[in-house]
Amino acid sequence: MTALRERLTSWEGFLLLVLVLLYAWNALASPVFLTLGNQVNLFQLSIEKVIVALAMTFVIINGEIDLSVASVMGLAACSFGWLHGAGVPAAAAIPLVLLLGLACGGFNAFWVVRVGLPSLVVTLATMIAFRGLARVLVEDRGIGGFPAWFNALGQKPLIGPFPFAILLFFAMAALAWVLLHRTVFGRQVTVIGASRAVAEYSGVDVGRVKTAVLVASSGVAALAGLLFAARVGAVRGDVALGFELDIITIVLLGGVSIFGGVGSVTGTVLAILIVLSLRNGMALANLTGHIQSGVLGVLLILSVMVPVFRGWFQRVLHRPEAVS
Amino acid sequence: MRHLTLSALAVAAFCGAPAIAQDAATAGPGQAVDMVLLPKFLGILPFDQAHRGAQEAHAELGNPGELLYTGPTPENSVAGQIEILTTAASQGRDVVLLSNNAGDQIVPAAQAAQEAGTRVVTWDSPIPSGEGESLFVAQVDFAEIGVVMADMAHSIMDGEGQFAILSATPDAANQNAWIAAMQAALAADEKYAGLELVDTVYGDDQSEVSYNRALALVDAHPDLELIMAPTSVGIVAAAKAMQDEGLCDRVKVSGLGVPAEMVSYTLNGCAPQFALWSFVDLGYLAYYVGYLLATGAIEAAEGQTFEAGRMGTYTIERDPTRDNGLRVLMGPFTVYTAENVEAAAQ
Repeated sequence: MTALRERLTSWEGFLLLVLVLLYAWNALASPVFLTLGNQVNLFQLSIEKVIVALAMTFVIINGEIDLSVASVMGLAACSFGWLHGAGVPAAAAIPLVLLLGLACGGFNAFWVVRVGLPSLVVTLATMIAFRGLARVLVEDRGIGGFPAWFNALGQKPLIGPFPFAILLFFAMAALAWVLLHRTVFGRQVTVIGASRAVAEYSGVDVGRVKTAVLVASSGVAALAGLLFAARVGAVRGDVALGFELDIITIVLLGGVSIFGGVGSVTGTVLAILIVLSLRNGMALANLTGHIQSGVLGVLLILSVMVPVFRGWFQRVLHRPEAVS
Repeated sequence: MRHLTLSALAVAAFCGAPAIAQDAATAGPGQAVDMVLLPKFLGILPFDQAHRGAQEAHAELGNPGELLYTGPTPENSVAGQIEILTTAASQGRDVVLLSNNAGDQIVPAAQAAQEAGTRVVTWDSPIPSGEGESLFVAQVDFAEIGVVMADMAHSIMDGEGQFAILSATPDAANQNAWIAAMQAALAADEKYAGLELVDTVYGDDQSEVSYNRALALVDAHPDLELIMAPTSVGIVAAAKAMQDEGLCDRVKVSGLGVPAEMVSYTLNGCAPQFALWSFVDLGYLAYYVGYLLATGAIEAAEGQTFEAGRMGTYTIERDPTRDNGLRVLMGPFTVYTAENVEAAAQ
């Protein structure tokens, strides 16, 4: 009973409550909201961001940040376009682009782990550098004309009404949950984020874990960039520009502490559902982009304050127990 | 100005519309058509003017449906346009009038919308591949821009003298095409023989850079009589520079500009003539095209002729600036002078 009670009064429980209210509100406000087509669209329009948010959960819990993810997405999409333009078949270009993504992560990890620079600074620099590279490759003209099977992967339903990327997201979410909450690696990620010193004294290979997390972050971002290219069927130097803010907003709203050591995959997934249904609800209510940005900006501020709310929320709910 | 530099049309020779004998279709007023006017992004004057034109047509046709004006923020333009177009299709709206800023990346969303019964009509900036779009309402023909600029230069300099061009960036596709069109126009007609282009410089579409480049031109060319700026940022900066330095009697400014930003310089003689198409008219015409398509009065087919309210009769033609796609060419340019600039600046 206490376990159930604790779960319901946790941050995740609060997010679930918000999500239910949001769905109810949206469903009442627009008859379109609950239709299957709209629910698929709701995911489909942001699927690349939410896939990256799963990997970002590990990065931030680990006490780091990766600002370069959106630029890696852009670089991956543009490299794919460039390779396609150079005559490389898509089936060969995809693994090359994924390797490039892993290499981007390796580059980030080198400066963070080997040289010891803060990830904030390193990934800020590579955010600019990778974006610059993407723009050099493709400039401002669009490259399209990808093979039909590649475009279909992003645009057409694969199983039932669900496109490949949505199925992939749910599979990756399950994998992330197991990895973070049920494996030694997951515990190491969390312990390092909570206290690097404790982790080092306990014999955890901090450098290796951090490298793995940063490389995975870029690798997943490259995959997301390819999914974006498939969904829109053409790439340009500004692909995914500015996505890092939305991604980090989602992860922080999910209860992952910006200081590391705290967070769960369940929280991130709930935050994803909240942000997507909020966006979709605002779009169906015909709110302009400026208002939507404003609302998401407020959400970012609130989500940075999550640790404060979390403490307050749990004090209020657990007070009777503490007294008795 | 963003809308001048962003749309990526290629220059093309002017092709006459195929003259097919056919009665012009007219709009049956009072039918419910839900419209979305989707600009590249919100917050700049020309798009608000296009909205005014669309509202005018909406009222004129007595459409009981909704005209929604919504758009993304400039930073989120591409993803935002795709999202709004997709949502409009989910909502079952009949027409989306799109000033495309997403290149061909909008194609899958536009095709999905068309399949769901939402027509996509582009204006100001088309879908480059023409896929997913019913047709494009083009503002003016690029070749005509060259002739208009040549004529303004001819008129301001009385047919003789040195002039220079102040453009946006060296790789701005629109401006380069327009400058090439002007040079072609100058070479094509003997009456322009006295006009001498002495320099072409770039102000990067930034006010301060353009201002300094304009002053540098005057220093470098003592006999300069005119600065031609085919960019709405450059023309304002050049006119201000000439005014601030008291050079307006010697060096005039002309080019493409927005009346509201140019009115004081036109009235005080620093920029006696400049040109632009009317965004109000463009919004009005795009609305008519969307309404006619949605009500079944016209098909998106070459040779189809129709009437667009106060603007008269138009014909759908193949778009000569793209490999694939149909267009309605609005035209013509409005040349603004002290006579008409105040009314347009409202």
